[in-house]
Amino acid sequence: VISFVLDGVHPHDVGTILDGEGVCVRAGHHCAQPVMERFGLAATVRASFGVYNGRDDVDALVTALGKVREIFRP
Amino acid sequence: MTELRDLYQEVILDHGRRPRNFGALPEASHRADGHNPFCGDKVTVFLALEDGRVADVRFQGAGCAISIASASLMTDAVKGKSEAELRAMFERFQVGMTAKDDGDAAEALSKLDKLAVFEGVREFPIRVKCATLPWHTLVAALDRASRPVKTE
Repeated sequence: VISFVLDGVHPHDVGTILDGEGVCVRAGHHCAQPVMERFGLAATVRASFGVYNGRDDVDALVTALGKVREIFRP
Repeated sequence: MTELRDLYQEVILDHGRRPRNFGALPEASHRADGHNPFCGDKVTVFLALEDGRVADVRFQGAGCAISIASASLMTDAVKGKSEAELRAMFERFQVGMTAKDDGDAAEALSKLDKLAVFEGVREFPIRVKCATLPWHTLVAALDRASRPVKTE
């Protein structure tokens, strides 16, 4: 399980764009408000692996994160 | 990708990045806190009413591009409006976001000038609350709510 944030983009915006690219992640505080508070975060994006995931899926995630950057140019 | 571009229009990205009317308003006559526990968005709306009209309005908070842009464009749109006009705008925005019929939604939004940029949000039901939280909070401020409003 990998929790991450993209600088300058709210995790919910990341989640919506990834969804549009066919990549499912969870975004928000994952019912873990105390730990979010501990790290000073409003929310994170969370990706995890299933037995059916392969290298392609990781590549798809990375490509889709590039799309997020395209839309949310600083 | 087209739908995503409809959601993240340039105006929305711009207001999300550089929100207008951002900050506290010490002379506020009304204020309310809004919270969407599902995503963690928080917004406080400050309202200064004079002779029944919005003399000034500001907001503070943290959230996604949609919620910040919605609060920013909302505060721009309601300046100078009367309380009744403001409630009518809220009703229209609600219809624009949630009406079952696309035509009804488009008609309501078309009467809200710049706020029509949020029409793409309808295609993303989970994001509707991001756009409406600032409006619920504004109305709660008018109603002088003493407790934070929640979308859940």
